[in-house]
Amino acid sequence: MEQFATRFLHVDMDAFYVEVERLADPSLRGVPVIVGGLGSRGVVAAASYEARRTGVRSAMPIVEARRRLPRARYLPSDMAKYTTMSRRVFAILDDFSPFVEPLSVDEAFLDIAGLRLHYDRPYDVAVAMRKRIRDELALPASVGVAAVKFLAKMASKEAKPDGIFVIDAGTERAFLEPRNVVELWGVGQATLASLAGLGIETIGQLAEVPNDMLRRQVGVAAAAHLTALANGRDPRSVEPGREAKSVSVEETYPTDLTESDEIDRALLELCHRLSGRLLKAHLAGKTLTLKVRLGDFTTVTRSLTGRQPLSDTSQIWPLASELLGKVALSGQGIRLLGIGVTALSEGEPTQLAIDGSDRTALADVSAVVRGRFGDDAVLPARLAEPPEKKTQG
Amino acid sequence: MRIRAERDDLADVLARAARAVGTRSPQQILQGLLCDVRGNRLEVTGTDSDVTIRTTLEVEVLEAGRTVVPAKLAAEAVRKLPVGAVTLSAEEGEVEITGNGPRFRLREFVVNDFPDIPDTIEAPLVEVDGEAFVAALAQVGVAASGDDARPTLTGILFEAHDDGLRLVATDSYRLALRDLPGIAAGETSLVPYRALREIGRTIADAKLGVQLDDRQAAFSSARGRMTARVIEATFPNYRQLLPDEYPNRLSVSKAALLDAVGRAALVAEEHIPVRLSLSESGVELSVTRQEVGEETEHIEAAYSGEEMTIAFNTRYLTDGVGAVAGDEVVLETIDPLKPGMLSGGSDGFQYLLMPVRL
Repeated sequence: MEQFATRFLHVDMDAFYVEVERLADPSLRGVPVIVGGLGSRGVVAAASYEARRTGVRSAMPIVEARRRLPRARYLPSDMAKYTTMSRRVFAILDDFSPFVEPLSVDEAFLDIAGLRLHYDRPYDVAVAMRKRIRDELALPASVGVAAVKFLAKMASKEAKPDGIFVIDAGTERAFLEPRNVVELWGVGQATLASLAGLGIETIGQLAEVPNDMLRRQVGVAAAAHLTALANGRDPRSVEPGREAKSVSVEETYPTDLTESDEIDRALLELCHRLSGRLLKAHLAGKTLTLKVRLGDFTTVTRSLTGRQPLSDTSQIWPLASELLGKVALSGQGIRLLGIGVTALSEGEPTQLAIDGSDRTALADVSAVVRGRFGDDAVLPARLAEPPEKKTQG
Repeated sequence: MRIRAERDDLADVLARAARAVGTRSPQQILQGLLCDVRGNRLEVTGTDSDVTIRTTLEVEVLEAGRTVVPAKLAAEAVRKLPVGAVTLSAEEGEVEITGNGPRFRLREFVVNDFPDIPDTIEAPLVEVDGEAFVAALAQVGVAASGDDARPTLTGILFEAHDDGLRLVATDSYRLALRDLPGIAAGETSLVPYRALREIGRTIADAKLGVQLDDRQAAFSSARGRMTARVIEATFPNYRQLLPDEYPNRLSVSKAALLDAVGRAALVAEEHIPVRLSLSESGVELSVTRQEVGEETEHIEAAYSGEEMTIAFNTRYLTDGVGAVAGDEVVLETIDPLKPGMLSGGSDGFQYLLMPVRL
């Protein structure tokens, strides 16, 4: 059985916010609809195709949109509603492939290489996918199919609205040649101006420009990137990673832990590592699970579900300690400790506390610092080493 | 000891004292009610060792003395006798309850095991209007926490001021306070709401005496006396949590808002907030729950300030709006992540409520 020559799909929901609004209110069908901030400084979040014909675009000031299209229907955006629907769209995509990389609420890359036994052509996958989204959610989606990611994305743009576009393997150059370089991934106004300095306007011209000339103009890294794209090359793979069902860490200790202080520290260290993983992925979960393996290989797990989603060490640690307190060690040492968080959510509504006891501010700052300077940039004091000791180690 | 009394009167004093009896006390004796007969009075005491309720009744005394009866059982037994006179007596380890035929013979608890509850407080007694005071406790009590893991938050702070008494409670998500001018409470203390909640159902009367010291709070009336061990913890410094000013102000009909939140709550679950979009035309409520559906509605209201959307837990919002006295509710806000303040007429009630971050 042959491999799919074009294994990347880019799925892009058409005027997603508008279409979600239309589900609730059919009178919005067939007329120009604009969703966005409706205040004097609001901007357009989404415009229906009817509205786009008059030049209304996303991110345009709402005032400008009203000037162009005074009679369109204007709706305030309702992210909760769109997020809810987005989850349902992604649930369908997840049925097709485990490799789904979300780009936003209404857009994703998929790697469908594994479907070759089920479908004759990638095109058929796109058809089936659009049909399910249409049948189950009554929403239009456009799908681009290509051999590499950035081309799949260009193809979906070509497919819009409500269609499929395939860039067959071997036809990439022909597809790209006549197009303006601005359509390439990563080409902004600055690069555009640099390329114009070389007289380059189309992707075809870019593909033919001598490499050293391009390097002098835009730098080594950008030149390599642009040359690859202009030739239809993109090494990136689809990176799933949305909504992992759980995040956990565990450690097997060289010698069984017996002293309570030693056990406490080990647990705290695991909490901190878990927190680092959660913060990095912008995830939080309400259910904490503790796994303890004793010297005789008996394994005990305990879990509890808190009121607030957990992500910071300061939130996880007290609960983990509480769980560990429930495990009868029966005089044995601990061979392995593991903790994990499930019921993960991203941006779920969070009840804030008056006194800040939800530690949100601290957790937020800690997340930023750890994101920028590394996981150990913020440590519980019990785990921190004196500076001189650290440099020796 | 041996007494005779009207069934309804006796059932009443037993049942009210029994409200202090915990259902899960590890000490069996605390499942009992102490009945102490002296002069022409029966005094009934129930306690869980933190909260004690004592009720009294004039009875026909046939023989003075003391007994401890099983609280719930004795109270129910008396209540279920035929109407008319009831005799309660205790002798040789047995309690007998009879009236118009039926006869209960119950095992008596060991009288000397009943704890000696210190009941007298040196602090001066302040007399308050019982009905208004109970209403104020209920108003503030909605914000008290029921979570025993954080005892500090399960109480109402009685804060003595020069010009009156202030009641404050918070479960860390909302904070309710009520000023009661003219009540000179003397001491500031933290009284468990679990006890205060029972005042209305046990000893409340037109006039209520309040006494506070650093260990106990006592409330007394012609119908009885409740003492509660105060919570020995420092109440959060709530003043620094109260914003100085709010740029946005919504004034809306209390009934309309309560009804609307009630409808929204049908769709929401505990953790799904109701969103309030505030603008000059009023307030738009909306709630969306995945897999279930949504509800939206608009209420006309007076609003001044920036257009904004803020989300609240439906139950916390209902509690606050419901506690406001008067027909109009004022909601003041700063931004979607800062606390909102609910208040009503001029009764000195304020309810600070943290929003839900969407």
